[in-house]
Amino acid sequence: MNLKFQGKRISGILAILPEYEAHFDDEIQNYSLSSSNSMKLKKIMGYDKHRVVSDEVCVSDLCIFGLKHLFEMNLLDKDEIDALILVTQTPDYIVPPTSNIIQGTLGLKQDLLCLDINQGCAGYLVGLIEAFLLLGNNAFNKIVLLNADVLSRKVSKQDRNSYPLIGDAASITIIERDAVESEVFATLKMDGSRAEALIIPAGGMRLPATDSTAALELDGDNLRSKNHLKMDGGAVFNFMQTEVPPMINDLMNFAGISKDDIDYFLFHQPNKFMLQKLTNKIGISPVKMPSNIVENFGNSSGVSVPVNITFNLGSKLTEQSYAVCLAGFGSGLAWSSMFLRIGELNFCGIIEFGNKGDL
Amino acid sequence: MRDINTLLAGILEVEKVYDEDGLDTFEAWDSLAVLSLMFMVDEEYGVIIGNDEIKSAKTIGDLKSIIREKLGG
Repeated sequence: MNLKFQGKRISGILAILPEYEAHFDDEIQNYSLSSSNSMKLKKIMGYDKHRVVSDEVCVSDLCIFGLKHLFEMNLLDKDEIDALILVTQTPDYIVPPTSNIIQGTLGLKQDLLCLDINQGCAGYLVGLIEAFLLLGNNAFNKIVLLNADVLSRKVSKQDRNSYPLIGDAASITIIERDAVESEVFATLKMDGSRAEALIIPAGGMRLPATDSTAALELDGDNLRSKNHLKMDGGAVFNFMQTEVPPMINDLMNFAGISKDDIDYFLFHQPNKFMLQKLTNKIGISPVKMPSNIVENFGNSSGVSVPVNITFNLGSKLTEQSYAVCLAGFGSGLAWSSMFLRIGELNFCGIIEFGNKGDL
Repeated sequence: MRDINTLLAGILEVEKVYDEDGLDTFEAWDSLAVLSLMFMVDEEYGVIIGNDEIKSAKTIGDLKSIIREKLGG
């Protein structure tokens, strides 16, 4: 479906990254890989450094740390928040919603909508769309969109398909009305018939986590349990190859623009290989499409979009404004793209979360 | 446009491939090779081959028939 919004804008973006940096070179021994194959993967997929939390850190910890920072720096007034949307696949609890936990811990007002959304790599865009929709009602003036995941805790350390590229991260995006009649164009598609391409089989009601679901099983060269994330790399690549380029064309047609009108293509970052293939296939200059997030921080699912924005554009966005195309695609399966102007933000940057000291 | 044999030999990191060669006999035939094949076939011939189709192939000959079928015989 195609969506158009008017008079709404992003006014600030903060990314929160765990301070701890894991290195692929130190983890090679966990995988059944020859050293030449490891080097090949490192180069092609962009396996290098990735940010991961220590085992006790939850999504709410990262979000609360970031929100407190914004309150302390007077970049956000807690009484002005009308909705707390949290997009995550790794909530603190099944019940209650993690957004309610965050509201309670921070002592936010009761006139507030707390809403958890379970979406992955397209989640940042789904969250933005939800925020824009809420702003269609006068009861909402300022939306805080949290997008956070600690998926490293759900990936087997002996799964070379997923562990070398997984990253944990959180982001806080402020969305509000804009006096200028700016336009936002978005596309959104879902296909649950391909749900198994990215799945954590156990831990929900369908297959509750037990001792037997925790047992490690060999799948090809990879050891993982049913409690771990399982990615069918080929199916995901096929999905990306067939759906993403037409999605970008559809967005351009819908918005009545061409690729040349876009300053930056800020996409979800699955791995370097897929992004470079996408850049070629869509036919855009690599200069306009950063692909450096996985090698520096890992793939943090949907959060890789705001990490991409803050890392590659950062403080430039507090002064200037750019025409950007955002895109997310992954678990669900779900895929979404968005054309909008981002700029003159109140803040745009990255802070680090020291795993224990900051709790 | 590169010949299919040359393309497959490049992905499998060998000098030559033969139709009867079993894919499992190549050390380089791993998940990354599957992704590379999907992409290179798309780039060279403009056709998209499915992950499931590749998984069903046992030999070089099987892979070639899948690609040829997409190219319209």
